[in-house]
Amino acid sequence: MTGDNQKWLENNTFHHGEFWDILDLVKEKEKKDLKISLCIPTLNEEKTIGKEVLILRSELMERYPLIDEFAVIDSGSNDKTLEVAESYGADTYLASEILPEVGDKRGKGENLWKAIHQLKGDIICYVDADISNIHPRFVYGLVAPLIKQAEVQYVKAFYDRPLNYSSGLRSSGGGRVTEILIRPLFSLFYPELTNIIQPLSGEYAARREVLEMIPFPIGYGVETSHLLDLYEKFGLNAFAQTDLDRRVHRNQTTNALGKMSFGILQTFINRLHSQGKIDRVPDVETFYRRFEVEDGSYNQLVQEVVEEERPPMIEIDGYRKRTGNS
Amino acid sequence: MMLETTSKEFDLGNLLQDLPTQIEKLKEARKLVLTDAVLLGEVPSPTFNEEDRIRLTVDRFRENGMEDPEIDEQGNASAVLPGSEGRSSILVMAHADSVFDATTQHVLNVGPDSITGPGIADNAIGLATVVALPKLLKILGITLKDDLILLANTKSLGRGNLEGARYFLDTKQRPISAGICVEGASQGRLSYAGLGTLRGEIRLEVPSNYDWNRFGSSGAVGHLTRIINQLLEIPLPKEPKTKMVLGGLTCGTTYNKTPHRGCLRFEITSEADEVIAELQQKVNDLCEQCSLENGTTVKLEVVATRPNCGIPFTHPLVKATRSIMDEIGITPQVIPSTGDLNVLIEAGYAGVTLGLTHAENIGEENETIQLAPLQAGIAQLVTLLQAIDKGICES
Repeated sequence: MTGDNQKWLENNTFHHGEFWDILDLVKEKEKKDLKISLCIPTLNEEKTIGKEVLILRSELMERYPLIDEFAVIDSGSNDKTLEVAESYGADTYLASEILPEVGDKRGKGENLWKAIHQLKGDIICYVDADISNIHPRFVYGLVAPLIKQAEVQYVKAFYDRPLNYSSGLRSSGGGRVTEILIRPLFSLFYPELTNIIQPLSGEYAARREVLEMIPFPIGYGVETSHLLDLYEKFGLNAFAQTDLDRRVHRNQTTNALGKMSFGILQTFINRLHSQGKIDRVPDVETFYRRFEVEDGSYNQLVQEVVEEERPPMIEIDGYRKRTGNS
Repeated sequence: MMLETTSKEFDLGNLLQDLPTQIEKLKEARKLVLTDAVLLGEVPSPTFNEEDRIRLTVDRFRENGMEDPEIDEQGNASAVLPGSEGRSSILVMAHADSVFDATTQHVLNVGPDSITGPGIADNAIGLATVVALPKLLKILGITLKDDLILLANTKSLGRGNLEGARYFLDTKQRPISAGICVEGASQGRLSYAGLGTLRGEIRLEVPSNYDWNRFGSSGAVGHLTRIINQLLEIPLPKEPKTKMVLGGLTCGTTYNKTPHRGCLRFEITSEADEVIAELQQKVNDLCEQCSLENGTTVKLEVVATRPNCGIPFTHPLVKATRSIMDEIGITPQVIPSTGDLNVLIEAGYAGVTLGLTHAENIGEENETIQLAPLQAGIAQLVTLLQAIDKGICES
């Protein structure tokens, strides 16, 4: 692992516990005259949305005025998502009614993109609606690095999703798509981005200035495209990441993950084309990068994986002699 | 004397008049309570391991403006909201422990009309209400003359045997005029007496050198079944009212292995302490008989006891509580307590237990509270607190 990577990990990786003093964050936010908007994109989330609105609004707007605006932007739920969200005090919007002149596309990315137009904050924080163990840390942990460090533009969440434990050492893993698709792809084409521990996490916060500069895929590729586009424009130092501990959420079926991977791959290949990397495929990296955590510090493990190949057996002299094909 | 009674009635009448406004204001303010109920309720807090929930409770006490929140040797969290005069103190308490162990997934689901999840009724919503009281009083514009002591007591349930509350009351430093125990369920509950209780476990063990050829030989299941039958044959008096509940049985692990040990949990409650003592002796005799006749080891372990105690139905505290419930339209259900109230009354204080809302599936993972009755439930608590503060409940 290079020294630069280790330095970035040390300086730009946080734990939500570092920001427990929400009152201090509120003071700093006010001093810097920042406004913060929270957006929850929804589609049929009546089971979990009430709790998210109740907890986040009550703690981060009423008890501590960290959030200035709280919006649920919905893709056209046919359950009681909007009714429940409203009953607990959220401003609710239909994505189709925001910027109607650009039309309506259905997908989470559409809601996130339209939030930039609808919301007024200098910082926008996005939180998925399916978190069962919602807690204020899911928001203050993400906006805090943006309040405190002017150079940070975009903060990703990562979670305690241990894949295995042995002798005090654990792999710090993402979900299945992260480990099977994204990490290998980043190791090949964007080795520096492998420092982002959970590139697909649905919770992140960013400054308006950077969000308004990048395109938003409307479907599964939105998180990946954000990383690739902002990395291209600003480099790794624009990013930070915060450990938000445990996240309890619905488990997706393998079929759903396959569909998600397909969408992400489309976005990824589009970026390879637009960033001129597709031609460099033969020269790709051979180092696979993953993480482990020891005593609270994150270490990147770099392992060389060279996929050597054997020629067709028919081209081997010995084989041809044995089979009489010489 | 006559003049004093009239003045108290007048004061209570004034408080009752304010109830509709209070309930209306609490409709919005209850979100504070619900938030804390979820945040506190999602922290596992099995009896004897309440530390994490207690730590969060203390943080909340501090954030809500309570003075010097502290955790005592038994792990209880308490804090004081100073009154304008501070001549005496009113204690409001809720137990912080829950019957669910740490392996249970403590995730609460918030719906438009209800909250569901392990321990929400017993007693996350009760604890959250106690924690939020200083904020609620502020929202309602109420300043008490007496100091308000808030207590989140530990080791209340099961083998905890009310140890937390007992320790707090044994070591408390302030005079207490009266106490209110807050439970999540059920609204209308009115406890002003503690019911004599004995909780025990009958532990049976078949020794490894057991003679399986002797007459009546059997595994633990067979022996426990015989004990259960004999327990059920013990005559219970109708007066004083007495009840025996066989609450739990653990024995064996599979289909085809004869188990060597088992445990039966039971509770005896009675309006007469001497009846409980007599029944305890009978259970003990039965255990000894089984041990000797069958070559097994059968032991009775008493894990919790409470003597009968109480304040009269006509006590001004009970009368005021009934008037408040009546004004709100709640029908009181008189239920003798086997919980924290026993300790309070045993220690010589007037006290009642109130329930905040309606609940279903108590003790199961889908425990559910209804949200609509909650503001009335909180209003009855706040109004009773005001009544105590005004001296209306003094005997």
